[in-house]
Amino acid sequence: MAREFQRGHKAKISDLTAGTDLYVGVRISAPGLSFDISCFGLDADERLSDDRYFVFFNQPESPEGAIRLLGAQAGDTESFRVTLDRIPTNVQKISFTATIDGDGQMSRTDPGYLRIVAGGEEVARYSFDGSEFTTERAVMLGDFYLKDVWRFAAVGQGFDGGLEALLKHFGGEVLEEEPAPAPAPQAAPGFAPPAGPAPGFAPPAPPAPAQQAHPPAPAPQQAPPPPAAPVPAQPPFGQPAQPAGPSHGGGPAQPGFPGQAAPPVAPPSAPVPPAPTAPGQALPNPFGQPPAPQQPFGQAPGHPGAPQAPQMPQIPQGPAAGIGAALEKYREAPTGQRWTLQNPALIRADLSHDGQGVLARQGSMVLYQGKVDFSYKGAGFAGRIIGNATGQEMQLMRCTGRGQVFFAENAAHVHPIELQGDAVCVSADNVLAFDETLQYEVRRIDGHGIPGGALFTMQFQGTGTVVVKTQGTPVVLPVTPTTFADSQAVVAWSAGAQVIISSQVRLRRNAYPGHSGETVNLQFRGAPGNFIVVQPYEV
Amino acid sequence: MDHTAIPGVSGYAPAPPAARMENHGSHMVKIAMTGGQDVFARSGSMVAYEGFVQYEANPPAVRQAASQWLTGEGAPLMKCSGDGLLYLADYGADVVCLNLDNEAMSVNGTNLLAFDAHLQWGVERVKGLAKFSGQGMFNVGISGTGWVALTSRGTPVVVDCGRGEDETYVDPDALVAWSSGLKMKGKRSMKAGALIGRGSGEAYQIAFSGRGFVVVQPSEDSTDRLRVRG
Repeated sequence: MAREFQRGHKAKISDLTAGTDLYVGVRISAPGLSFDISCFGLDADERLSDDRYFVFFNQPESPEGAIRLLGAQAGDTESFRVTLDRIPTNVQKISFTATIDGDGQMSRTDPGYLRIVAGGEEVARYSFDGSEFTTERAVMLGDFYLKDVWRFAAVGQGFDGGLEALLKHFGGEVLEEEPAPAPAPQAAPGFAPPAGPAPGFAPPAPPAPAQQAHPPAPAPQQAPPPPAAPVPAQPPFGQPAQPAGPSHGGGPAQPGFPGQAAPPVAPPSAPVPPAPTAPGQALPNPFGQPPAPQQPFGQAPGHPGAPQAPQMPQIPQGPAAGIGAALEKYREAPTGQRWTLQNPALIRADLSHDGQGVLARQGSMVLYQGKVDFSYKGAGFAGRIIGNATGQEMQLMRCTGRGQVFFAENAAHVHPIELQGDAVCVSADNVLAFDETLQYEVRRIDGHGIPGGALFTMQFQGTGTVVVKTQGTPVVLPVTPTTFADSQAVVAWSAGAQVIISSQVRLRRNAYPGHSGETVNLQFRGAPGNFIVVQPYEV
Repeated sequence: MDHTAIPGVSGYAPAPPAARMENHGSHMVKIAMTGGQDVFARSGSMVAYEGFVQYEANPPAVRQAASQWLTGEGAPLMKCSGDGLLYLADYGADVVCLNLDNEAMSVNGTNLLAFDAHLQWGVERVKGLAKFSGQGMFNVGISGTGWVALTSRGTPVVVDCGRGEDETYVDPDALVAWSSGLKMKGKRSMKAGALIGRGSGEAYQIAFSGRGFVVVQPSEDSTDRLRVRG
């Protein structure tokens, strides 16, 4: 069963398949357009330091054959064979890209996909269509990248300038107007390994470069300016050189692109003409930021608060790893699933195009990315009656759209409970968020002595996930003939369990000697297999 | 009696310092102090110290740098100097120690626990946001090479900002820190429904764009407990 990936999803290859011999098929088409689908083998700095690892129609194989172009087959516009365990160690990332050959816009693309097939079985599929793009002429579809183990990321990021700009992006400096020699890949001095800035914070995972919207996007963190590498101060894209002169209008103006100038065989593609956009204006260079300003906070040098001459301390300073290393363990945990627990107190919901929203407690969103809409959601007719009667209406909001939403509340532990046709009752105070696909109804359990007059519970049923929050680590108890819980500490129970308000008098006499201080207790009854969840916290 | 002899206690003895700032447990920071290497810490955050450490509340340097501090009360910072080991905590919040390597970052004021005095720092007002946030949003920009300790209610999460063309929206009460290079602006996602009491509860967010990271805590409790205590 192929796992469906959305843009931005990542997964370990080992989670998808045990094999390392992968077939990668790309289907991309658009009326009247032809596409070049290529594969870049990048080093740790996300640079194409060895252009023999640029696998495209003119160079169908990497030197040791780990990446091989297979051509169109089985419904795929282009396909590759990638043998992960034969890839040399200097190649840390394999990026699959598609570029429009000639003029055109990615927004006209028909629905397409990038899929991974292993052992004759499709294990992953990332689908996209033109609505995700605008005027781009290239798109980075997906990456294999090495972060401890090989992983796959569905990227789906558009890129304005076509194949040439993409090459520059990966290759750094590109020699201008170099009459490209024969398709001898070695003879491309333009691909000299650039002394790229170490992406201090960015792991090799997110490619995340071309931020079209923010050309001067400053990123001081990413570029802790290595003093020995002045390269970043010169954005390769920003070079005014690139005299896209009229002399070669639309011709093989592929500076520094070895085999492109004279494509001996170009079945699916002709040479890509220069990008219509002048390089350097529409293409921010993510690696090329100037060094971070050292005094961004308006403090004059010699300010008393910041004594100059900060002599380095003699005491153990620890590893000067920078922010990135210290924060690495708190990094967002990506998976392809809809609900992902980020840490014990934070859960991420991936809202995708299918329009299935999430209902969440009001105010529980701490962060979101993408286009997500938050709207009011009443508790429904039944809920409102209860709410009006007691003033305890559960306040919900509906989150719809596309993107990732992070939910948390008050650092409480969160627990996603996946329901597959089962039913579970959750105390309304402990509901954090749930899938809109779940049916739920609000119930009240009346009882004298319960604060507020009644305990409100929500019974969830159907297929989906409900996220429950608890203060502290909860305990799950099986329902036995004598299972009692405090009405304020009980979090959830299986819907098969029946709730009885224990009479205080009888309880006190039978179960608790003297005055226990326990005002109200719930007794649970049910067949074996039922359970209750109790938190170590009484509101 | 040696504490190592007590079975239940010995496990909590501090390890010898391996770095200037490091965690002792997840909720406490241990700072190795030496003379001349002062530390600014939140007033009231000290829980223990060994050795000879002196504290100066609201020193002149701080007063000047923090003159824009929203309330005008002066910054809730104290200068710690001396030799020894200093233990800081903030009401059980998680503590994250960062070693800035010629980097710059911004920290929400209530989440700043301590930082090396030789770092460049200054108070920044976030334009347009102060009036929305319950606390009055201010943040501290820190840059240079040195150590910073942050607090977070619950384990924080670090999110890359510049991944897509979409911005990253953060609840201001849950925001801990972010790269200085990011552009930020307030966003009111209020609709007409909110005016009649049907808001989604998420009335405003801070939108970050650019390339960098954002650190967010899994809690919307931005109460400045150290300040509340006074």
